[in-house]
Amino acid sequence: MSVTPLISGKGLTKVYGNFVALADASIAVMAGEVRALIGSNGAGKSTLIKVLTGAIAPTLGTVEVEGVIAPLGNPTEMIARGVACIYQHSNLAPAMSVLDNIYLGRQPTRGFGLLDRKTQRANALVLLERHGIDLDLDAIVGALPTVKQKEVEIAKALALDAKVLLMDEPTGWLAAADVARLHDTIRTLKARGVAIVYISHMLDEIFAVCDTMTIMRDGKVIAESAVKDIKRPKVVELMVGEKLARDSAGAALVGRKPRGSGAVRLGVQNLTKRGVFKNVSFDVHAGEIFCITGLIGSKRTEVMHALFGSDQFDSGTVELDGKAVKFGHPAEAMAAGIGFVTEDRHREGLMLGLKVTDNLVMATLKKFWRFGLLDRGGIERSAKKSILDLNVQPPDGRKLVKLLSGGNQQKVLLGKWLNLSPRVIILDEPTVGVDVGAKAEIYAILRAERDKGAAVLVVSSDLEEVMTVADRIGIMVSGQLKAIHDADKVTMSQVVNEIGEAA
Amino acid sequence: MGTAAQISGFGRRIAPHALPLAILVIVVVFAIAQPAFLKPENLIGILRQVALVGIMATATTFVIMTGGVDLSVGPVLAISGLVSYFCLAAGYPLPVVLAAGLGLGLFIGFANGAVIAFLGLPPIIVTLATLSIVRGSALLLGGPDLHLIREESAYTFIGTGNILGIPVSIYLFIAVALVLIFVQRRTPLGMLVAAVGENERAAFLSGHNTALTKTLIYGLSGLGAGFAGIIQSSQVHTAAATYGPFGTELDVIAAVVLGGTSLMGGSGSVARTVMGVLFLGIMNNGMNILNVPIDMQLIAKGTIIVVALAIAELK
Amino acid sequence: MKARPAIFALLLFFAATTGLFSLFAPRFATASNMENLMSGFSFVAILAIGQAFPILVRGIDLSVGAIVAVVGMVTFDLSLMFHVPGFAVLPLVLIVGTLAGALNGALIVSLRLQPFIATLATLAAYRGLVYSISGRQLVPGLSTTPITDKWITGLENYFDIGGMTGLSHAIAMPWFPLSFFVMLAVLAVFQFILLKTRFGRDIYTVGGNFEAARLAGIKTNRVIIAAYSISGFCAAMAALLLVARLTTSTEALGTGMELSAIAAVVIGGVSLQGGTGSVFGPALGAFLLGIVLLGLTLLGVSQFVQQILTGVILLAAVSYDRLLVLRQQRRLKANLAAGH
Repeated sequence: MSVTPLISGKGLTKVYGNFVALADASIAVMAGEVRALIGSNGAGKSTLIKVLTGAIAPTLGTVEVEGVIAPLGNPTEMIARGVACIYQHSNLAPAMSVLDNIYLGRQPTRGFGLLDRKTQRANALVLLERHGIDLDLDAIVGALPTVKQKEVEIAKALALDAKVLLMDEPTGWLAAADVARLHDTIRTLKARGVAIVYISHMLDEIFAVCDTMTIMRDGKVIAESAVKDIKRPKVVELMVGEKLARDSAGAALVGRKPRGSGAVRLGVQNLTKRGVFKNVSFDVHAGEIFCITGLIGSKRTEVMHALFGSDQFDSGTVELDGKAVKFGHPAEAMAAGIGFVTEDRHREGLMLGLKVTDNLVMATLKKFWRFGLLDRGGIERSAKKSILDLNVQPPDGRKLVKLLSGGNQQKVLLGKWLNLSPRVIILDEPTVGVDVGAKAEIYAILRAERDKGAAVLVVSSDLEEVMTVADRIGIMVSGQLKAIHDADKVTMSQVVNEIGEAA
Repeated sequence: MGTAAQISGFGRRIAPHALPLAILVIVVVFAIAQPAFLKPENLIGILRQVALVGIMATATTFVIMTGGVDLSVGPVLAISGLVSYFCLAAGYPLPVVLAAGLGLGLFIGFANGAVIAFLGLPPIIVTLATLSIVRGSALLLGGPDLHLIREESAYTFIGTGNILGIPVSIYLFIAVALVLIFVQRRTPLGMLVAAVGENERAAFLSGHNTALTKTLIYGLSGLGAGFAGIIQSSQVHTAAATYGPFGTELDVIAAVVLGGTSLMGGSGSVARTVMGVLFLGIMNNGMNILNVPIDMQLIAKGTIIVVALAIAELK
Repeated sequence: MKARPAIFALLLFFAATTGLFSLFAPRFATASNMENLMSGFSFVAILAIGQAFPILVRGIDLSVGAIVAVVGMVTFDLSLMFHVPGFAVLPLVLIVGTLAGALNGALIVSLRLQPFIATLATLAAYRGLVYSISGRQLVPGLSTTPITDKWITGLENYFDIGGMTGLSHAIAMPWFPLSFFVMLAVLAVFQFILLKTRFGRDIYTVGGNFEAARLAGIKTNRVIIAAYSISGFCAAMAALLLVARLTTSTEALGTGMELSAIAAVVIGGVSLQGGTGSVFGPALGAFLLGIVLLGLTLLGVSQFVQQILTGVILLAAVSYDRLLVLRQQRRLKANLAAGH
């Protein structure tokens, strides 16, 4: 093994506005090393990967490939230096064939820019054969199922003959057998001296295939270790922070209230949407926090949208306090007392360019209609109260939401829905990209809502979060709700195992 | 690096005031180059000239705030004028005449909005198609000829009358602007437009009827164009299917964009659109006074819009 | 690349329309009417082929009509004011058109302007430019002088293919205008570029997934500028054909033509979402538009109604495009379901 790392980043910092996504992070990967990069959502893993691939330029810091300083924020240059990446989201051109996508932007030519189809096809066949990937080269990518699209992405990265391969949650969409095959590919590449960075939430995968790990939290590198020298509980503790781990363990011990008051507030039976989710059944009681966890892509969010009327379902029943309901528009669900803190606060939750005050009343605007006009005074008073109750920092309603930190943005989003005084409150990934302090505050708010008698339904991929706040836990795998447990009668490793079951 | 940061910091502080400052600068420049520029008659003349574009621009600001655009304002202006003319010629009373012209503009706007909001078609193409459809309909209705409006003092008062020495059309522009500023700041519609413009998905998930909101604001844009059509026909005592020629929509969009409303949707303000209208009006007037040829004026207008947009993008 | 069903649907529709008009419109299925169709819509097809490129990269070019006017006027000036020989005028004005297109692309990538507003602005600026360089106004006497340079007027030429091949004994054949062959050449060249070159693939990639193109190391800025340059080049080509027909140019040349071009592209199955379609569809779309408009004229429908119909056809085409997108999304979901 050579002494110079194949790829290294030093003192990498990335600042968006006043949000620090990456703070003085460093990483180095040797030839033939598989390094896991782990941390909770929003810990800065994806940002770090994007800096290494040149997709974004860091605010500070340097990237070296084989000991030579590389230009920053230039993907072309990084590809030329042999750095390839499989991103979390699709990087394919949907209207083009698999063959073209594998060689996106680098199709072989015969001079004058003329395509050399023969060589391209022959190369592709060799590549797919060598890695045991089964793909129809002439299929149009946009018409393929998502799992197949992921395989195209993998083939595309492999086609680069990369020296460094970065994988950002490559298994999010794959079934267990596919994961095993991907791991075989990784071992082959490792034997050939490729340096690999592997991001995954699945500790099983990391312990199966990785040699070393870098643990991140809040944009910083917290620890580095060889995989064989560290135990799983220690990894989890490092990921979520010792204090939070201790606090949550404490809170969990005293506070669990499975089935709350005992009255079913929201009853869901055999909810089905063809091709998306199937026979999903669960009850959420007044006064409990019910968490649904599972892999990204296990269709939890889709179920929530169907409940809330922002999407439709094909069959099954939803009951609210024993009465059957079906909402055609979010407004109907809201009128029935359901609030929905959506997943991606930038895309679906907040109006970033509007003031905190306006965002806080966005779901309850009707309360402030006075003869066709808006009651500005009432809005200001209501917002001021929310800001104090939620401890939004800075406590200034005129501030534009985009200027707040992630945690405070999330509190504003939460506040918008609490103003509705919901009887059922649904939260989808409520603490992604939120710092530890704000996380604890949000958990406290959720418990307070529960204790006031609301039915709280949380969707979360963050197992620490689930184990911390849940009274009961539902586990969703590939569009089906596989199991429901009382949170005090199940261990994290049990949950991990059930989530990871083959689809 | 340091200087660049300083410059951009300076830019950020100055940006909100750039438009009023620019207006001040060109007023000073024109006043020095040609003192007649500052005469009250000329200043009133500027306002009179911008009234039509001003009404259309303020009325279409909400559309642009939601990331849309209305390219059909020119033909809508023409057909509303024509319909009003025919109603006059048929001897209907003034309120009916006005209702017909305004109602048609509103209807075409609603049709645009409904197709865009409920079918999810791109606004550029939809309103481009409407442009063609409405122009064709106007020509079918009125032919290529001018229709002279005679002996209709009440109707022509709208475009040519004076109150206290100031043309009525200026009062109408100011009234429309004030009403729309009020709508934006004090009514639920204003808040909804901002919400849809900022994040349509989030607005929908907050329980708002975003499709209805969009339909309404395209209706408003059509209404503005219809109103402008009535004023124009009364101003020049004629109605014709060819009024509001290609390029009218450019003037309108230019004024809104100069006012700082982003074409990507999001923040925007009717009050600032008024300033954009004034800026363009003063530029036109000043260049006319200085005898800048028409072709240079067109090029200058294109350049100004591009520069303004580029600056907005830098922000 | 496999032929997509959208093209088949278009061909079918084309055949059906032609059949209907042949049956019901008097003098529709005649050689002279086919001649009108080819000479009247070949340049629309060329504009549509050019317009397809900006739309393929998820943009739009509203300035093509104005570029037609600029190129027309430059041709007028070079030939009549400066007496530049025609063989030099042709390449020069093609360069002018290409540069005008490149400027559009440059504004879009360097100033990050929205394509439609950038080209709306250049539409105004180019129109202004036409007035300021107008030889008709600079030298008033020239406005009635026709262009006589053989290189330019030669573009308006007809070939009696039927007579040459002897086919006209069997069937009445239209004379083929040169513009039709120019259109075929332009079509062949750009279809080849799209399907057979790296640049063509890059166009699809940039339009289909801009971020993926950037991360794959494609020089996205260059691709976009090239797409708008092609649009400008095609506008110049169309302008030359128009000038050859009129033997002069006017300030209003090409007004409103962007509408027909965009309609033809959308009818031709190029998605406004970028990344799907070809240039064959738009060319076919232009002639389909032509058939409908000519057929209606023969049926005695007023040209104003035709203007209305152009708008309606545009709306119908874009609705169809939207329908295809929705159907594809549904098919994707069905695929996913099959995967489970």
